[in-house]
Amino acid sequence: MLKVKNIDVFYDKIHAIKDVSFNVSPGEVVTLIGANGAGKTTILKTISKLLEPTNGVVLFEDEPLNKLLPHQLVYLGMAHVPEGRRVFSRMTVKENLEMGAFIRKDKAGLKADYDQVFSYFPRLKERINQPSGTLSGGEQQMLAIGRAMISKPKLLLLDEPSMGLAPLLVKEIFNIVETIKKQGTTILLVEQNANQALQVADRAYVLETGRIINSGDAKVLLEDDSVKRAYLGG
Amino acid sequence: MVLFLQQMINGLSVGSIYALIALGYTMVYGIIRLINFAHGEIMMVGAYIAFILAVNTSLPFILILLISMVLSAVIGVLVERVAYKPLRKAPRISVLITAIGVSFFLQNLALVIFKADPKIMPELIEKKPIAIGPLQVGTVTVTTLALSIVFMIALDLFVKRTKPGKAMRAVSEDKDAAVLMGIHVNKTISLTFAIGSALGALGGVLYGITYTQVFPTLGVLPGLKAFIAAVLGGIGLIPGAVLGGFVIGMIETITKAYLSSQWSDAIVFGLLIIVLIVKPTGILGKNEKEKV
Repeated sequence: MLKVKNIDVFYDKIHAIKDVSFNVSPGEVVTLIGANGAGKTTILKTISKLLEPTNGVVLFEDEPLNKLLPHQLVYLGMAHVPEGRRVFSRMTVKENLEMGAFIRKDKAGLKADYDQVFSYFPRLKERINQPSGTLSGGEQQMLAIGRAMISKPKLLLLDEPSMGLAPLLVKEIFNIVETIKKQGTTILLVEQNANQALQVADRAYVLETGRIINSGDAKVLLEDDSVKRAYLGG
Repeated sequence: MVLFLQQMINGLSVGSIYALIALGYTMVYGIIRLINFAHGEIMMVGAYIAFILAVNTSLPFILILLISMVLSAVIGVLVERVAYKPLRKAPRISVLITAIGVSFFLQNLALVIFKADPKIMPELIEKKPIAIGPLQVGTVTVTTLALSIVFMIALDLFVKRTKPGKAMRAVSEDKDAAVLMGIHVNKTISLTFAIGSALGALGGVLYGITYTQVFPTLGVLPGLKAFIAAVLGGIGLIPGAVLGGFVIGMIETITKAYLSSQWSDAIVFGLLIIVLIVKPTGILGKNEKEKV
């Protein structure tokens, strides 16, 4: 479904991503783990075309993305929940979801998808007319995920959904990730919380200073000594 | 008391013109963080378009007004495409200087085409006093106020109820996040310039009618005051621009009537300094902090 081929990304002169390749197959949950600054967010932003790679190419369902404009990706079926949630804080919960549904034309189907988002996150329904800037961090994360899901993506890019959340909320968010996976959406998950990420994922890539240094089955990596030592605090 | 009320109504009318122009400043600032110093010139262009139509055709006032608004919107969008869009990734100061350049360019273009001497604006609105109780209010004053309010309400509905209006707010809050929603940011920016310029032209036409003159530097002073109005209300906020416009209009009119007409500008500009010292974000502005 998603193929990233030999991409290099620079911030001015800083070589942030070095010859990174990986792929995500339909129905899979793949996670990129690694320390702060390893380049995880940079990779997601490159896939979403918020950043341009100097070399390499990203293919979505075998279509190269280099000719497309960033706003067109969501029409292809890609949705990105950015790091730090980035909800529109002066707009209400409802308006945020409407922005998520910006590309949707089918009013009938949309109604069902709103209901589905509210079934994932009943709290969003309670706060439907509240400006999203007044929500708690966890609720904002729910809104950010809901806003992405309402576009009915085939591939969901999730950037640090657990960042800055209390342990109980982290659990809740990962339960939702699990539900979204079961319902058939492919997920590329970026996380610092490697333990949680590896438990929900099928496969994982380990990133260190812009390079992929390890990859494989998530359950295997969860037991891998070097991964344990570096990322799981064991 | 009657005189005071009458002055208040005049103040509201002048203020509504400032508010219309301030809306253009604040919307453009909200979406690309640019103080569009060429906005006053768009207002002037709008006034000249109405002047040309009024002199050469016998179209009704409302049609002249709409044509002027549409053409000015096109010019506003063109200015953005040609002068600002290529600088989207440049430092903000470069764009600001470009805006000042565009302002001088349009002013001098008008100077070349129309010459420096003021042209008399035909009487597009028939001037006669209307009695509201003991008050005598001019038709121009009433029309100005009414038209301004109609367009402000229309703008409010557009921004709050329609999809492109909401997209506009989304882009002004967070461009990258808006892109991820599938919103075409450049189109949204163009739309913002179009609406801002149309409202500016409306302000320009009403200004020209109120002061019965059109001249190349017509946009300079009201443009500056409208800018102050936008800052005073809280730049980037639509209700702030409206509030700021009315406040400036009232203060200016009351000062002119009761203190001194020479001092009125000094007082308005002094007010800006005080507001910036006491509340840098403007009357309605808030310091938003990120939530963790």
